[in-house]
Amino acid sequence: MKTKIFAAMLVVLGAVPLAQAQQTAPPADKGEYVARAGDCIACHSVVGGKPFAGGLKMGTPLGAIYSTNITPDPETGIGNYSLADFDRAVRGGVAKDGHNLYPAMPYPSYAKITDDDVRALYDFFMKQVPPVKQANKPSEIKGVMGIRWPLAIWNMLFMDKGVYVAKKDHDDAWNRGAYLVEGLEHCGACHTPRGLAFQEKGLDASSGAFLQGAELDAWSAPNLRGDLRTGLGGWSKDELASFLKTGHNDKAVAFGSMIDVLNNSTPYLSDDDVNAMAAYLKSLPATTQQAAYVYNDAATKELQSGKPQQPGAAVYLGNCVSCHGADGKGQAPFIPPLAGNPAVLDGIPSSLINLVLNSAEPLVVKGMPDAYRMPQYRVQLTDDEIAQALSFIRGAWGNDAPAVTSAQVKAMRPITDPSSDRVIVLKMR
Amino acid sequence: MITLTVNGTQHQVDLEPDTPLLWAIRDAVGLTGTKFGCGIAQCGACTVHVNGQAMRSCSVPIGGLDGANVTTIEGLSPDSKHPVQAAWLAEDVPQCGWCQSGQIMAAVAFLKQNPAPTDADIDAGITNICRCGTYERLRRAIHRAADLMKA
Repeated sequence: MKTKIFAAMLVVLGAVPLAQAQQTAPPADKGEYVARAGDCIACHSVVGGKPFAGGLKMGTPLGAIYSTNITPDPETGIGNYSLADFDRAVRGGVAKDGHNLYPAMPYPSYAKITDDDVRALYDFFMKQVPPVKQANKPSEIKGVMGIRWPLAIWNMLFMDKGVYVAKKDHDDAWNRGAYLVEGLEHCGACHTPRGLAFQEKGLDASSGAFLQGAELDAWSAPNLRGDLRTGLGGWSKDELASFLKTGHNDKAVAFGSMIDVLNNSTPYLSDDDVNAMAAYLKSLPATTQQAAYVYNDAATKELQSGKPQQPGAAVYLGNCVSCHGADGKGQAPFIPPLAGNPAVLDGIPSSLINLVLNSAEPLVVKGMPDAYRMPQYRVQLTDDEIAQALSFIRGAWGNDAPAVTSAQVKAMRPITDPSSDRVIVLKMR
Repeated sequence: MITLTVNGTQHQVDLEPDTPLLWAIRDAVGLTGTKFGCGIAQCGACTVHVNGQAMRSCSVPIGGLDGANVTTIEGLSPDSKHPVQAAWLAEDVPQCGWCQSGQIMAAVAFLKQNPAPTDADIDAGITNICRCGTYERLRRAIHRAADLMKA
């Protein structure tokens, strides 16, 4: 579905010919580059809508809210915003009229953006984005809970004010990576667990909770720290950079909300910036001591015998084996291995259940659609079969993640079915 | 350049590594018995054997297959008399025929691993889709082929 937004994005950039927009060089315009790095479009657009005109429904514990029109239309957008107004919204979470933004806008991360980048971003929105007249939708948060001033207190409690300050004990690349990961790319919005007040439990490398992995919107955003099995401890810096650049590497393929990031943001960054992000992420220490993943072929032999003993192995043999292989190694980098994949080893099985039920949205990196996508098994497989197959892969080939229950699959079915009246509204992208 | 041995003949295939094996077989090698069905490894119409294992060729990138041995429906038997093909004829399985080369390739690989399957084994192990709904005949033919191969 992001392909439409991507296509629309190319229209927005009007002056940029299609061929140029698809080439590998990052955007030459600094403001556009910053907008890419901030992935503004992922939330401030809807499928089939005009870029940056807002309207994306986002769930909060109190009711749904809608992203706003950030095109330079003077009436319905931000056309009347001065640089100072814009700055106060992006880095401070306060709109021009003085009301506090909901922290679905990742301003606690954007607070780290430099003055230069904010100015470039402002120029991009004011001069390059075509204005769209489209009124913002009111939030569905009712009554006293809709009063916004308490958010100012939230900000005092949970926001670290101030532009990113380079850490002297790290090199320039690390600091650039930290600036991008903690700030513009706001990775923590999905990958950092949140507290009772929906605040991220850590906003930078000094916190052990930062990027520790979190469950959000029926996906589990994986741990990005150095944990050897459930985190990225087993990935090299180059593998990490390749993932950010293409959505693939020999260890995994992107899914869930990460598709938005790859379709709109990280592949457009320069190699230096992507390498900097990878170097920074590789420096985050593990939060749990885990033994390194070691492959074993007992499950491979069971599958190849043609007489699978575990019920999940039979489901795997009928439905999964032709792509992911009897050896669980997939067809890297196009079809992800299940053996040793951190998303498979994740303690929370939400992403795996979601993927089997609903598949992943298409990855369209720089206009090139991905050839291989996970199909949907919502209709073909029962709750029991999905639970069995997932339990099997979580225990096969040296994997050691807890089993998945039918009840977990059953619970996930209606909330991830777009035709259901109980479908959850995404909180974050 | 990727080297594939298809039905015993070596081919140098000059395609992008993310090209699905199906298109290497149909377009580069020129064997069109293998069909495109759904394109997402769900229906099985494109099933071929890669190093003896049944794989859905629409979803297998050739990048990882350098040096692999591929068998397609054309290479199953020199005279089209493989026991599974014989059983297919005897049971008059195909209706429209589109899925059949994939069905046969899936059945051959399945019977190699499970020479005496029960109905339940077939239902679990053969997940190819036939939109004409020939499943009853397919199942009978697989049992018949198992008997032929035993004899």
